[in-house]
Amino acid sequence: MPAASTPAAPTPRAALVLLAAGEGRRSGHATNKVLLPLAGRRVFTWSIRWARLLPMFVETVVVVREGDQEQVEAICRREVEGPVRLVVGGASRHESEWAALQALAPAIAAGDLDVVAIHDAARPLASSDVFATVTEQALTHGGAIPVADQRSLAPREPTEVLADRLVAVQTPQAFRAGPLLGAYAAAHADGFVGTDTASCMERYTDLPVRCVPGDATNVKITFPEDLFLAERLLEKVDYDLSGGRTPPHGRRLPHLPTLRRARGEGTR
Amino acid sequence: MSDAIAELLCEHCDDVTDHELRYAGRLLEHVECTRCGRRTEVSGRALLPAYVADLEQRVASKPRRMLRRAADDPVGYAMSLPAALARQPVKFAREFWAVLKR
Repeated sequence: MPAASTPAAPTPRAALVLLAAGEGRRSGHATNKVLLPLAGRRVFTWSIRWARLLPMFVETVVVVREGDQEQVEAICRREVEGPVRLVVGGASRHESEWAALQALAPAIAAGDLDVVAIHDAARPLASSDVFATVTEQALTHGGAIPVADQRSLAPREPTEVLADRLVAVQTPQAFRAGPLLGAYAAAHADGFVGTDTASCMERYTDLPVRCVPGDATNVKITFPEDLFLAERLLEKVDYDLSGGRTPPHGRRLPHLPTLRRARGEGTR
Repeated sequence: MSDAIAELLCEHCDDVTDHELRYAGRLLEHVECTRCGRRTEVSGRALLPAYVADLEQRVASKPRRMLRRAADDPVGYAMSLPAALARQPVKFAREFWAVLKR
């Protein structure tokens, strides 16, 4: 008797939370750095593009500064295909994450989301691969964060704890949706403010947070030089961090700014 | 050239300060801290070929980008087109001049 075929596992459903509110200070006439042009697009839309090539991302929430909504909406209409929800963030990263999770709470409670990936909008070079890895690891283990070795750094103060590896934690950081919402609700009730998503999860849940290999090119736009570096790194990979993925439902990639493709020479 | 003012961390001031950014087309040409004047820029020798290559791509991809915008919002696009066309000669003249004088 032939073995009954096993039904294919349903595709996990994930939400992308993009933190684009920045931190604190604003001089009045300055542009939020994530809204700056970078190689033909705005800084923050690059990572939305790479994440949404993965069919598992069914929801996107962009956390913006008060006053940036109109500009972000206009940019999203121009550069992002499909719906994006805007949420006004708080004064800290933690408050912004909490605002986004509250917006996602009904979907999480209804069981419509399995994983939430939280990403810093100032990291435009996070590839589709890193989004896929953290999301899959989070689904399996509970949480996942990308880390990159910092071999050239040493502690400033003498310490008894000698770590054999000093790593820099990057984003996207992904977690199972239910426990993540629960952790942030508990943190809100306690008045706890975490430094990053993983710190809140570690405090309020027992779920392991796995470290996955990050990428040295997943730079965060902080210094002026980072903008030049990001521009060059994008050029070096032909403006393509998709890992060979194509958009779901056969949609075409908008604004693919590659000279080689324009000339019909293919990609590297 | 287009300009923007953005908050970035200045290594010299050791603080988040306003920076003036200037672009040559889509490429960043220089960034300058408005507090201490520290400037980071692409050399003229590197900027010109990069600008020409980028310009070539902008021209090649323009029809596709125009079609997409027209499909997204036909009325709004049709209404904005005359003004956008009128701006192009001045825009490109300013870009060329700024790149060539480096």
